[in-house]
Amino acid sequence: MMRRAALSIAFFAAAAARAASPASYTADPSASRLEFIGVQAGAEFKGSFRKFTAAVDFAPDSLASARFDVQIDLNSLDTMDKDRDKTMRGPDIFDIAHYPTAHYVTRSFTKTAAGYSAVGALTLHGVTKDVPIDFQFVSTAGQSKIEGTAKLKRLEFGVGQGDWKSTEWVKDEVKVAFSLVLKPAP
Amino acid sequence: MPNHDPPMRYTGVAQLFHWLIAGLIVTQFILGWTAVDLPLGMHKLALFARHKSFGMTVLVLAILRLLWRFKHPPPDLPPAMSPVERVLARATHIAFYVLLFAMPITGWMMSSAKNYSVSWFGLFTWPDLIGQNETAFNILKTTHDTLSFILFGIAVLHILAALKHHFWNKDDVFLRMLPFTKSEKRS
Repeated sequence: MMRRAALSIAFFAAAAARAASPASYTADPSASRLEFIGVQAGAEFKGSFRKFTAAVDFAPDSLASARFDVQIDLNSLDTMDKDRDKTMRGPDIFDIAHYPTAHYVTRSFTKTAAGYSAVGALTLHGVTKDVPIDFQFVSTAGQSKIEGTAKLKRLEFGVGQGDWKSTEWVKDEVKVAFSLVLKPAP
Repeated sequence: MPNHDPPMRYTGVAQLFHWLIAGLIVTQFILGWTAVDLPLGMHKLALFARHKSFGMTVLVLAILRLLWRFKHPPPDLPPAMSPVERVLARATHIAFYVLLFAMPITGWMMSSAKNYSVSWFGLFTWPDLIGQNETAFNILKTTHDTLSFILFGIAVLHILAALKHHFWNKDDVFLRMLPFTKSEKRS
């Protein structure tokens, strides 16, 4: 009798724990996008990172334990121009020989009118700084998706050395847009 | 009393279009040929940004100039010119008009194909004409370069012809495009 009671308590405790903790996902690499939009000579240009991994713990009712952890392979950047890609990989911009990856980890989440926002630490080019993100969590029949944007200043991370420190022809502000198609974590 | 029909001189507006576009084209050659050999860097971006802004200005001026020309036909060529000279003059001028459109449009398409959208002096961005495409870019670049050499060639021909008219034929073909001068009917 005592054993059964203990078992059922354990069972309910486990169920309660499950309800309070968010679902764990990873981003489906083939369906997810991570893009940045810079401004050169007054005109926007879009680039994307073809390789990144995102571990996402999220449920709308348990923001306190939500967490995004995104690893970005900077070498996978693609701006549709090989010359520009090569320059951006080089020592004066991303300097991927020394800083091959960027890392973003969230710290806190809040509900907003349009969806959610989070604050997290972005480590890029050897510099770690807080970058807020705004996103929406869309969950339809068997398919969960996170879509959002962020803004950052490239020079705060030292992305742009030498001539590229100037903001006359390449703006400091860079927009980021992401769309993560989630699948349950293995 | 001089007969004002047909006109003896280009209108002031036509002269303004001519010299403004001529000045911009000289600038374009300097910017384009300087920038093309630079490695990708701030200097190249800056030069090409101006090249594109000026190029789009030429395109807009070319449209306005053509519209003006339809309303205000240019003066006739001097009667003393031979049929061959007339054909050559006409062909050169048609080629100029074709290039006034072809140069900026191929340049604009190049920018679109390479994902470097065209801004007009940082004030607004022109829409991309085509999608990003490396093959298209390479073809367009060859076309833009080739056309620039043709433009250079006919510009030389045009200038030599203007000087020949002025100093050799001593007619008013050059003067009637020159502001602040008077054309005297010499033929």
